[in-house]
Amino acid sequence: MLSQNSLLKRTWPMVVQCAEAHRKPRWVPVAKSKVFRVPKRPVVSEEERLELLRLHNNYKTQMRAIRRFYHEEMIKEKQTRESASSEMSQRLEAEEWARCVELNEKWNAQVAIEREERRKVEVNQLETYALKRMQAVDEKRVQAIAKASEEIKRQKELSSTFITPENLEAAIDHALANPTDYNFAIDLKGNKYLGRDTQITKPKEAASSASATA
Amino acid sequence: MASTVIKYVGRTTDFKGKTLWEIVGSLKNQGVGRIIVRSVFERYPEPSFMKIVKVETCPDEERRRVRIWVEKTFRGRKMPNLTEIYRTSYKPDYKLVPKNEEAQLLASVKEVHHFPEVILPRNIEMPPLMKKFIIKDHEKKGLEVMTDFTMPITYNYSPNRVKRIAKPDEKPTVQFSMGLGTPASPSLYEGVPLS
Repeated sequence: MLSQNSLLKRTWPMVVQCAEAHRKPRWVPVAKSKVFRVPKRPVVSEEERLELLRLHNNYKTQMRAIRRFYHEEMIKEKQTRESASSEMSQRLEAEEWARCVELNEKWNAQVAIEREERRKVEVNQLETYALKRMQAVDEKRVQAIAKASEEIKRQKELSSTFITPENLEAAIDHALANPTDYNFAIDLKGNKYLGRDTQITKPKEAASSASATA
Repeated sequence: MASTVIKYVGRTTDFKGKTLWEIVGSLKNQGVGRIIVRSVFERYPEPSFMKIVKVETCPDEERRRVRIWVEKTFRGRKMPNLTEIYRTSYKPDYKLVPKNEEAQLLASVKEVHHFPEVILPRNIEMPPLMKKFIIKDHEKKGLEVMTDFTMPITYNYSPNRVKRIAKPDEKPTVQFSMGLGTPASPSLYEGVPLS
């Protein structure tokens, strides 16, 4: 529970009113009951108006003058600072440039040494690679030659069975004498019956499923 | 027709009169050659009025406006160039001067400006605290000590300016200074010591 004292000694009011809480948003039109309400103008006496006008005009003139004074002073200061710094900066820049050039040359020399070493290693690698490739090509060629010679040997052996104009008649006779029939039939059990005109002996138990000769 | 009932809506206004189109649209030859007055400018003691020279109507989207060119006389000074009125032509603040009063109004302005001339100063003295601050500041920065504690005044530019800014070696007729100055209405300061 809050003690009475803490309530009395609080720094923040208990109920905080918020100005916006009961305001209408800007885009909502004037309330119906307030449409014909013409707000009253604040009445300022002529004396007061004149005096306030004079005071405000005075104030604005004074402030303009002060603002201009400090603005000009700022510009002046900036210019003096820039002109003073420009002489200094030129010398500093020249020194900086010389330093940079020296450092750059040092780096260049170092890089040149590294590059030479790297180039040597690279040339070596390239040589070995080229040699390896040449050997591989040679080997391949030798193998191809061997393969070709073998093929020639085989073909020469085969050439004894070729049909030539001399033994053409004999070959024809031989072919006519031994006709070859590649037709065959298969029954449901997968039995193969070679030949077109082969007589098929039907098995007794499967009389209906047999015989599908083409 | 029954008497019309006027109902006011919104806020009150300082304007008094009609829009330009209301005046110009109902006149012969669109009122070229006639004189109009803006009632807001009637608060000045010197006469201000405008003579219509040329009128151009506007498209339908801008039916409250009209583009006219006038010879403008502002606070007893005739402007050298014609003035175009377009942006402000919708303001219901213009009045037509009747023909029998025109001659009187024109006669009230002479060729040479005859109202007392006000010359504005170019410089103003610094406020006391600023003086002290600047002395200290210059000491700190090692600059030479300032002896002339005045600073130039800037004035906003206006083509209608009546008061003149002083030339370099001219004596101004008014002086601005830091501080309260002489009150415009002393009755407000009754019982207050003004030093």
